[in-house]
Amino acid sequence: MSNLNRSIFQGHPFHLVSPSPWPLFTCISLLTLTTSAVSGMHGFESAGYWIPSALILVISSMFLWFRDVISEGTYIGNHTLAVQKGLNMGVALFIVSEALFFLAIFWAYFHSALSPTVELGAQWPPIGIEAINAFELPLLNTVLLLASGVTITYSHHSLIQGNRNGALYGAIFTLVLALVFTGFQGVEYSVSSFTLTDGAYGSCFYFGTGFHGLHVIIGTIFIGVGFWRMLAYHLTENHHLGLESSILYWHFVDVVWLFLFLSVYYWGS
Amino acid sequence: MSDDEERVTMPFKFVTGFDARFPNQNQTKHCWQNYVDYHKCILAKGEDFKPCRQFFIAYRSLCPASWTARWDDQRDAGNFPLRLDQ
Repeated sequence: MSNLNRSIFQGHPFHLVSPSPWPLFTCISLLTLTTSAVSGMHGFESAGYWIPSALILVISSMFLWFRDVISEGTYIGNHTLAVQKGLNMGVALFIVSEALFFLAIFWAYFHSALSPTVELGAQWPPIGIEAINAFELPLLNTVLLLASGVTITYSHHSLIQGNRNGALYGAIFTLVLALVFTGFQGVEYSVSSFTLTDGAYGSCFYFGTGFHGLHVIIGTIFIGVGFWRMLAYHLTENHHLGLESSILYWHFVDVVWLFLFLSVYYWGS
Repeated sequence: MSDDEERVTMPFKFVTGFDARFPNQNQTKHCWQNYVDYHKCILAKGEDFKPCRQFFIAYRSLCPASWTARWDDQRDAGNFPLRLDQ
């Protein structure tokens, strides 16, 4: 329905949402996930079954809810410019909350690294920790992520200019770079000489890079959904908020990596 | 101690005084650094090297005995968290 027709039925541009089971479903799934995770961390034996089940529930909630949002936005036309503005604000606030989450992680790291305690020999990295050389895989990963920022921008601008092939290929290259990045991080984890339980260094290192890696994986899926929606002709040159949100999220993840690279990999070794 | 003997209370004072490297109220690292410096000193110059004594006096004044006892045990066991020979 065009905006002109829409205004015949509705005197305002907003989307009055219809009843949906997904908010409650999502709440229950998330509560199950946190409860299982905390139980697991305290040695609850069945957590090995509960955590994956709860994770499947959360992913199902997101899949079903976002499917409805796509139907409402793309097919029913509920996402007017005013609604897009609100959604965009929601995305921005979500990313701010993510930034504060990573601020806490960096705080934990700098608390330990800037003034290492005497128990660590007052040095960073502590004795026995062979820090990863920042100019090997981490530098390559920095280049990969920066390159993925270029390719996603190419994809975005192609979409705006109506160049379908450019938009699709830009997204494909971004996804490939993202997957290679994740693969290399996996390689780095598998060959590193220290683990999560090797004291303050290991805890801080895997806390930071682990949650960054998780965000890369989520961002890859996010961009993947954008790619599929371009392929399925959901997105137009002037209405593609989902893709733009994924791009914003991707740039955020990229910036977090730059901070990790500078402070944990380079300065911290 | 007999009652007629007068009890003298001396104000407690660290022998080290102020060190600009450790300006905080928390003097943990002041103690640590002198312990480390002493053991590096005697490792490099030998127990009889007089200037090392400065560090010994400082850490003995600053460090709780339980800490130095633990660090001594760690040095004996080879798991002291710092290389003292370099």
